[in-house]
Amino acid sequence: MSVLALREITKTFPGVVANERVSMSLDAGEIVALLGENGAGKSTLMNVAYGLLAADSGEVLVDGEPVRIRSPRDAIAVGIGMVHQHFMLVQPFTVTENIVLGQEPGRFGVIDFAEARKRVREISERNGLEVDPDARIADLSVGMQQRVEILKALYRGARILILDEPTAVLTPQEVRELFEVLRALVDSGLAIVLITHKLDEVMLAADRVIVMRDGRVVGETTPSVTDERGLARLMVGRDVVLRVERGSPHPGDVLLEVDDLVVDDERGLQAVRGVGLKVRGGEIVGIAGVDGNGQRELVEAIVGLRRPKSGRISLKGREITHAPVRETIAAGVSHVPEDRQRRGLVLQFDLAENLILGDHARPPVATFGVVHRKVVEDIAERRIRDYDVRTPSWRVLAGNLSGGNQQKLVLARELGRDPELLVTAQPTRGLDVGAIEFVHRRILAERDEGKAVLMVSMELDEVMALSDRILVMYRGEFVAEFAAGEADAERIGLFMTGGTTREAEAAVAGGGAG
Amino acid sequence: MLSEVINPELFASAIRMATPLALAAIGGTICERSGVVNIALEGIMLIGAFFGVVVALAAGSTHISWLVAASPWLGILAAVVASVLMAGLHAFASITLRMDQVVSGTAINLLALGLTGFLMVTLYGHPGTTDPIPVAINAVFNFPTPAGGLLATAWSWIDQIVFSYTPIVYAAMIAAVVGQWALFHTRWGLHLRALGEHPRAADTVGIRVLRGRYVAVLISGVLGGLAGANLSIEQVGSFNENMTAGRGFIALAANIFGRWTPIGSYLASLLFGFADALQIKLQAFQSVVQIPVQFFLMLPYVLTVVVLAGVMGRAVAPAEVGKPYEKE
Repeated sequence: MSVLALREITKTFPGVVANERVSMSLDAGEIVALLGENGAGKSTLMNVAYGLLAADSGEVLVDGEPVRIRSPRDAIAVGIGMVHQHFMLVQPFTVTENIVLGQEPGRFGVIDFAEARKRVREISERNGLEVDPDARIADLSVGMQQRVEILKALYRGARILILDEPTAVLTPQEVRELFEVLRALVDSGLAIVLITHKLDEVMLAADRVIVMRDGRVVGETTPSVTDERGLARLMVGRDVVLRVERGSPHPGDVLLEVDDLVVDDERGLQAVRGVGLKVRGGEIVGIAGVDGNGQRELVEAIVGLRRPKSGRISLKGREITHAPVRETIAAGVSHVPEDRQRRGLVLQFDLAENLILGDHARPPVATFGVVHRKVVEDIAERRIRDYDVRTPSWRVLAGNLSGGNQQKLVLARELGRDPELLVTAQPTRGLDVGAIEFVHRRILAERDEGKAVLMVSMELDEVMALSDRILVMYRGEFVAEFAAGEADAERIGLFMTGGTTREAEAAVAGGGAG
Repeated sequence: MLSEVINPELFASAIRMATPLALAAIGGTICERSGVVNIALEGIMLIGAFFGVVVALAAGSTHISWLVAASPWLGILAAVVASVLMAGLHAFASITLRMDQVVSGTAINLLALGLTGFLMVTLYGHPGTTDPIPVAINAVFNFPTPAGGLLATAWSWIDQIVFSYTPIVYAAMIAAVVGQWALFHTRWGLHLRALGEHPRAADTVGIRVLRGRYVAVLISGVLGGLAGANLSIEQVGSFNENMTAGRGFIALAANIFGRWTPIGSYLASLLFGFADALQIKLQAFQSVVQIPVQFFLMLPYVLTVVVLAGVMGRAVAPAEVGKPYEKE
């Protein structure tokens, strides 16, 4: 008998059917992957099971008995726990406080912190999930925080654990550790649902795969009888190229040159510690690294959004170190930022307005400060067509587009300008396989036209798939450099986390940093 | 001159002056820890101060002797009730209706100022100041003064600094200690702090976000009411229009300076209270040093700006303060 069963769940939002008569079941001792693109309805389905959303119809059964789950409290009561994509952790609280929150031991409303700490230690030892009960969440790595989330569910007696895109924020090593932990948990009798859109993870971790598309279950399989290509076809509904053909690069002259650059972060601490790099035309240089190692500050300094402390940045031999953004753009630098919603677009503007930002002050868009609406519309229509932005018209507000289309919009503007250098961070964050393919093709096309591309990504796969050269950034410095095809994920992953092992040290000695 | 300024009366005065600030600041701390900005404290205090005096005057002017005797106490009760209602309005607007909390607070401050001014004229026929309340509240302790000598001097310091106060002054000290303990050692406190930092996380573990925030705002109403009653009933003995004079805002500054903790709020209020007490003392010397009285009056407010400029950026507010919570 399955521990959790969902029967004929239907959930609609205004104008969208998120789940249409979806059924699935889960047994103790197995990891089931719920696979699908963004918007396929995976998270909606699991939020129904966890009581965060109310289904329009259908029922939830736990141990074969129908249960009414109207809030997370009800879900916790029947043994369902969920680790959300955005962690539900109170940053200034300690690990212990977070784990026991809502179910604190103690009498008369007074918390018995000694007892709480003891219970946390017990549960963490029993499940092989080591944590420091007194550490503050804000001081922990993302991987550690996730561990706290899992412990939080276990503390509440979860027998069914739902993880929503758990690997999105982890390094390759942390992913492997996570999967080991999950395997140990199901071996001890838990049942786990893994919400994901990453095919390799499904192949690696799942016992069974349920594939969703457009709010429906479109297939069920096991990793042993299929491969990534087969899963992708089920998920997208057509054949998808998972790894775009890269072709060999034809590097030309050095376009971007960075020398001994030092950049501070908001707190005034050195985030970039004297790095140098060169990017040639016709070449993609990828920067790998764990989030928060200075990549953001480096990118912002190059595109003119952050003032470097010292050092020199030049484009085609012309110094742009302290150039204002407008001049940087005019010099031929395009920027596809990490956070498209906050930095890439003005969500309250329509598509046409978004598509001319940056060009808005110069001819042909504007003369003497007056914007020519007709020109704007022509540009918008052309760019929307060229970059396949799916929209009824340019009059739509940017905020109403899907993530993939928003990213195409940013690309359309930044590449439509015909830059010399493209600087991009996390170009495919949160996109599904179809959109990723599109973005990757476009970036490669820029390279093949002889443009210089500098790409920062936390997704090691992405860095490895696109880059002609890979630099690994750790604590504000480049600690390793590899040519395409020279490095494997394991080795790069070691450098990303500080590379303290002998293997990494040996590699440093042999390789030399860029 | 120095001994005329620095004497036990100065410190006692500082603690008295600090009391309404401290009560309001602790109320602000509890409110903001739950995620609700309460700039309505000014208006909440003012309403309390007013209705406290209205009820104390009404009860005191009857001919029923027990009612007359109880009149200031009934006044305090009325102050608390009125302030809680006003805080309830802020809670409803900012939590249930999800209005901008600063706008709601500002509206309540304006409402309180207008309402008390209007009711002054309607009830008493004139603006400005009410009649003094007929029965005052005395100091809690009243020890005999021993005869002369060094011991007597020492005693007079202790007596004035420790034992010379009316009940709400002690209530503020108790509120600081109990509030501190409750915030960091009880379930209620842990839940409250979670609401201000990550309400969705609290929601997903079964803590009722909106109810918790309501309770916090209403508690700040109780404390704001006591602060108002302390001003009008205990300190002055009558109500003046706009008698809070920005104390609600200084209290918010004290809350920040006290790093969103009750004891910190109390100590920060003491600093402002001391500045206030000092400026009152110094006013007596304006003929000697030729400084206009307005200069002294300005001191506590200047101190507020200086302190906030110094502490801002270092003190970290609750992450979700000021943001209405909406279920997904």
